[in-house]
Amino acid sequence: MTFTDWLRADRLPHIWCSGCSNGTILNCTLAAVEAEGWDRDRTVFVSGIGCSSRAPGYVATDSLHTTHGRALAFATGVKLAEPSLNVVVFTGDGDLAAIGGNHFIHACRRNVDMTVVCMNNLIYGMTGGQGSPTTPLGALSTTTPYGASEPAFDLVALAVAAGANHVARWTAYHVKELEKAVKTGLETPGLSFIEVRAGCPTNYGRKNRIREVTDMADHFRTRSMLKTKYDRLVAEGKPVPADAIVVGEFVRRANPAMGVAP
Amino acid sequence: MKLVIDENRCKGCNLCTQVCPYRIFSPGARANRKGILVPVLDRPERCTNCRLQALYGRTLCGVCQLTCPDQAIGWVSERPYEPVRIEVEY
Amino acid sequence: MTRIEFMQGNAASAEGALAAGCRFFGGYPITPSTEVAELMARKMPKLGGVFVQMEDEIASIAAVIGAAWTGKKAMTATSGPGFSLMLENIGFAIMTETPLVIVNVQRGGPSTGQPTMSAQGDMLQCRFGSHGDMAILALAPDSVQEMYDLTVKAFNLAERFRCPAFLMADEIIGHMRERIDVPDRVEVVDRKPFVPGRLPFEADDDRVPGFPTFGQGHHTHVTGLTHDARGYPVTTDPAMHDALVRRLVGKVEDARREIADYRVTNPDAEVVFICYGAPARTVRQLVADRPDDGIGVLRLRLVWPFPEHALAEFPNARAFVVPEQNLGQIAREVERHVRVPVIPVSKLGGELHTPDELARVYEEVRAR
Repeated sequence: MTFTDWLRADRLPHIWCSGCSNGTILNCTLAAVEAEGWDRDRTVFVSGIGCSSRAPGYVATDSLHTTHGRALAFATGVKLAEPSLNVVVFTGDGDLAAIGGNHFIHACRRNVDMTVVCMNNLIYGMTGGQGSPTTPLGALSTTTPYGASEPAFDLVALAVAAGANHVARWTAYHVKELEKAVKTGLETPGLSFIEVRAGCPTNYGRKNRIREVTDMADHFRTRSMLKTKYDRLVAEGKPVPADAIVVGEFVRRANPAMGVAP
Repeated sequence: MKLVIDENRCKGCNLCTQVCPYRIFSPGARANRKGILVPVLDRPERCTNCRLQALYGRTLCGVCQLTCPDQAIGWVSERPYEPVRIEVEY
Repeated sequence: MTRIEFMQGNAASAEGALAAGCRFFGGYPITPSTEVAELMARKMPKLGGVFVQMEDEIASIAAVIGAAWTGKKAMTATSGPGFSLMLENIGFAIMTETPLVIVNVQRGGPSTGQPTMSAQGDMLQCRFGSHGDMAILALAPDSVQEMYDLTVKAFNLAERFRCPAFLMADEIIGHMRERIDVPDRVEVVDRKPFVPGRLPFEADDDRVPGFPTFGQGHHTHVTGLTHDARGYPVTTDPAMHDALVRRLVGKVEDARREIADYRVTNPDAEVVFICYGAPARTVRQLVADRPDDGIGVLRLRLVWPFPEHALAEFPNARAFVVPEQNLGQIAREVERHVRVPVIPVSKLGGELHTPDELARVYEEVRAR
C-alpha cells in the first residue's frame, strides 16, 4: 500500500490550479496517515470551505465537507461522539483564521484529539485572490490593491497560546519534513496543528512577483529558516529577515486532551 | 521499475523538474491534447526507487511523487527484456 | 406504565430526548432554553452519551451534525438569537440529509428583544430562514406533557425523513411547571440503514436514502455542495440540482397528509380558532367558558409541513381566527389556503392572550 491507495481515483484530476500546493500537502498528509497504518474505514477527513477544503473529497474515506469556517466544530462533534474514529481536518487560512477563528482557538483549548492541517496560501484562492488574515503587510491581492495594511496572524503562535498539544510549521517545499510532522501529529494525543505554507501561483504569486510555480518553490526554500536557527539568532540578538518563514516543531506536550480513544 | 507521468492528471507545473535529485524530469516542449506541456523524462528507470524498491520493500526517495500536486507521478514495473526478431524483407 | 411527575417544560424536553435515544448534546447557554442544556449536562454522562458546551450556537449545530454522522441521535437547544446563528448549518443539514433535533424556546425579538418573555416569532424563520428552497419539520407543544411527547416525535420524524426537526416551543411552555405522565418507554424510530452496494445518496421510493454511518467502511463523501447519488459535487448541472432540491423538499412536503398531527374540536363550527403553542391554552379556556357556542378549534401539533387539508375539516367555517404571539405568521399561511376571512389576533410583548380578549374577537367575528 502507498498513499495513492487513499485517493478517490475516480475524482482525479482535481480542481486545483496547476502548481497549487494543496495537492502536495494532500499527498504528504495521506503518506503520513498511511505510514501510521490507520484504517481507511475508521478515518474521517473534515473540512470547511475554500480551495483547501476540497481535499477530503479526493480521499477514499468517510469525509465531511462542511460550511465556511466551521470544520473544527463539525470535527469536534465527530470526534467526541465517536472517539474511536481518527479525525483529520483540512483547512485554509481564510477558513481557519478569519471566519473560523473562534472555533480554532476553542478547538485548541479543548485539545480535541485530531490533526489539523492548514494550507496557508496567504490568500482567498477560491474566490479569486482576496486578502486574508495571513496576507503579509504590503502584499497585493484584489482587496488590498495598494498592499495589505493589516498586520497578519501568526497561526502557530495562536495555536501554541490556545493550548494545542503539537504545533509545527513547514512549507509545501519540505515534503518529507511535512510528512514527518503530520505523522507526529497523528501520534500525539490532543490537537495537533500543522501550518503549511502553500503556494497559490494563480492568485498570490501572479500578483506578488512569484509568477512561476518553480519560483514559488524557490521562495519557500530560500526564505525558510529552521526554528533552532531562529531561536539562536534571537538569543544572540542578531537580526532575523522580516520575510523569514520559521519552520519546525514549535511545541509538543502532553496537556489534558479530549476525545482520546480509550 | 520506471517513472511515469499520467498525462491525464498532469497540469504541467514543472515542480518535478525542480525536485528530482537525478534530474530525470525536464520541462516539456510539446503540448498534449489537453494543451499541457507535460515534462519529458530522461531515462526514467534511473531513480533510487526504480532501482532499489524491490530490494528494500518500501518507497525510497519518492520526493517527486510526494511533491506532484496533481498525483500524476507513479512507478510502473517494466516488462522484462525480450529480444525482438526483426525480419527484413528483400 | 407511566410515572407521574411535576416538571418544567424545558426539563421535559430533555427527558423526552433522552427517552428517544438522544446521546449527543451540543449547546450554548441562552435564555430561555438553558435548562435543557443543564439537564443534559447532568444526565448525559450517566447514560454514556456526550454533552459538550460549544463556543457559540454555530459550533453547537456543527458539532451536532458531526455527531449525527457517527450514528448518534443528536440535538441542541436554543432561542431566537442562537437560532439565527444556526441557520446556515441548518441548510447544511438539509442538503446533507442529516437527522437532528433543535429545540427553539422562542423569546421576543427581533435582536436580543425580550430574553425572558414568550413569543412565537420564529415560525417563519424556521421554515424559510436558511437560504435556498427547503422543507423542514416543526412541532409546537402547548403543555409540559407535549414538550416531552413532541420532542420524542421530533426525533422520530427527523430520523425517518433524515431532515432537521424543530421543537418550536415558547418561553411560557418552556418555563412552565406542570404535571406530566412520563411513560416507561416510548416508540422510537431509527434512521433507515444503508444497504452496502448502493450509492450513499441513492434514494428509495420514499425519496430517503439509507444512512451510511461514518466508520463502517462506506467511504461516504458528505458535502453541502449540490451532489449526485455518489455524494460527489456536481455544481454546474442544472438538472442535477433541480432533481436534488425537489427530492429534498418533496420527501417532507409530500408526506404532509400522512404525518399531519392536529386536534379538531367542533368541526361543524362557523367560527374556527387555529392555534399552536401557548395561545392554544387560552383557546381551550375560551371553549370551556362557552360550552354552548360550539367554537371550532384546530390545534396544530405539527406546524410544518402545514396540514392545509385540515382546514377542510371545518366545512361550515365562515372565518378563521388565529391567535399568535407574533404579527400573524401562521395566519398568513392559513390565508393561502382558504377563501373565508382569516383574522390574526396578534399579541406581542410576551404575555398570553387572555380569554376575554379572544372572547371579544369571537363575538365580533360571530356578529359579522
